[in-house]
Amino acid sequence: MKGSQGLPGHDPAAGPAAGARGSAQPGRVGQPAGPVGPDHTRPVPNVGGGQAFGPVQPVQRGDQPDLGLLLGRVARGDQAAFQGVYDRAAGQILGIVRAVVRDPAQSEEVTQEVLLEVWRTASRFDATLGSPLAWLTTLAHRRAVDRVRSEQKAAQREVRAARSAIAYDEVTEIVEARLDRERVRRCLGSLTELQRQSVTLAYYDGYTYREVAALLGVAVGTVKTRMRDGLIRLRDCLGVE
Amino acid sequence: MNLRGSDPHTLAGAYAMDAVTAADRAAFEQHLVGCEPCQQEIRSLREATVRLAGAVAVQPPPAMRDVALAAAARTRQLPPVVGPETGRRPARAAARRRWLPRLALGLAGALAAVAIVLGVAVDGAQHRLDQAQVRSREIATVLNAADATMLTAKISTGGTAAVVMSHRDRALVFTAAGLQPLPASESYELWLMGPGGARPAGMVPGSRPGAVSPMVVSGLAAGDRVGLTVEPASGSPRPTSSPVLILYLSPRRNG
Repeated sequence: MKGSQGLPGHDPAAGPAAGARGSAQPGRVGQPAGPVGPDHTRPVPNVGGGQAFGPVQPVQRGDQPDLGLLLGRVARGDQAAFQGVYDRAAGQILGIVRAVVRDPAQSEEVTQEVLLEVWRTASRFDATLGSPLAWLTTLAHRRAVDRVRSEQKAAQREVRAARSAIAYDEVTEIVEARLDRERVRRCLGSLTELQRQSVTLAYYDGYTYREVAALLGVAVGTVKTRMRDGLIRLRDCLGVE
Repeated sequence: MNLRGSDPHTLAGAYAMDAVTAADRAAFEQHLVGCEPCQQEIRSLREATVRLAGAVAVQPPPAMRDVALAAAARTRQLPPVVGPETGRRPARAAARRRWLPRLALGLAGALAAVAIVLGVAVDGAQHRLDQAQVRSREIATVLNAADATMLTAKISTGGTAAVVMSHRDRALVFTAAGLQPLPASESYELWLMGPGGARPAGMVPGSRPGAVSPMVVSGLAAGDRVGLTVEPASGSPRPTSSPVLILYLSPRRNG
């Protein structure tokens, strides 16, 4: 296994995507057009034809409407609020889906499924069970993992084991996420090698703990413990409540 | 063999990262119902995974936005869960009556849990309640409803039936295992039997020796019971034989 930080897309030694999961479709997912704003974001152009969705807002930080409030309004059928949820969270959803699913076309498909599920079941979001963003990313990760496991072929899993980083040039990084990314890298770096590998193989590659045990040649019980200890350490390092 | 693996709590990390099989998930969620500390731990570990997800966030291609908004515009939403007295959510104390917590309970996990109850082998690609067969989102809705309750009963001619019902959705999901095989000319038919008579609720698909694909039945009314009879393969508008199963649906409870 690679002894990298374990964060997908950041290993300089990783070459272009080889043996991508599913039908390999190399190349760019899609370039956002338009000028770059002062905070390095590109406004998402309004490509809707004839639909009253209103003006498109670029993704920003700082004066974000509360995601929980937005979800509450989405639950009552507020489509403008759903736009807000999209602008706020679609990048996170697509990001984690892509990390797991890899194939760009399938990633978009799964992301759209997740977004529709968010729309459909917003009324079922229970704030006592976790943050709004946790609800969204948990939904996304779960769907991504389900898609991968329902389509997996043994051969492709073998290929994935040899390469744990996605091709970085295929996606457009969100610059604002760099700080979070560095924080996560640092905290992942504070884990033991086994803890870090267990966590990243599970979360970013979508393996079950049994598969991780087989990949790493470690006992199943050990992997379970490392996953739990690693995630707890990560949680504490990141200062999550 | 690591004996520490028998401690259910050690699965918390794997569970929070979805690094579990459907069977593991269902078993752990059963454990979660009665373990408040585990629920808290899962909650905080999930918040940690949010950061892991955030670290790989990307800018979506612009065309995705319109697709998402258009799909939402033409899709019905689930109504909110409403408590009977005040309109707020039912109290968490009702968790005892739920058959599984709502913590990210996906369709695969719910079906696996039903399979466990039915004693059907659940094993990765081989489990009979095949996720690939189940397209219906209505089924997932009922299985994930806040007031979902599960009932099982023996079928008189063999096999076990499991029903997961939601009063609020006025719907139930029916599945069965170990049904006695029928000749090609006959099929099992499901009914909703109320005070006004029996209403057809669908033909039970197939007569495989394994578990039956889940069926969703909506339009439950007060006083309904679920019935199962053997009918001609093409179905019948009225039951033509004595039911091999009658399931009394649990009464609606407050809170």
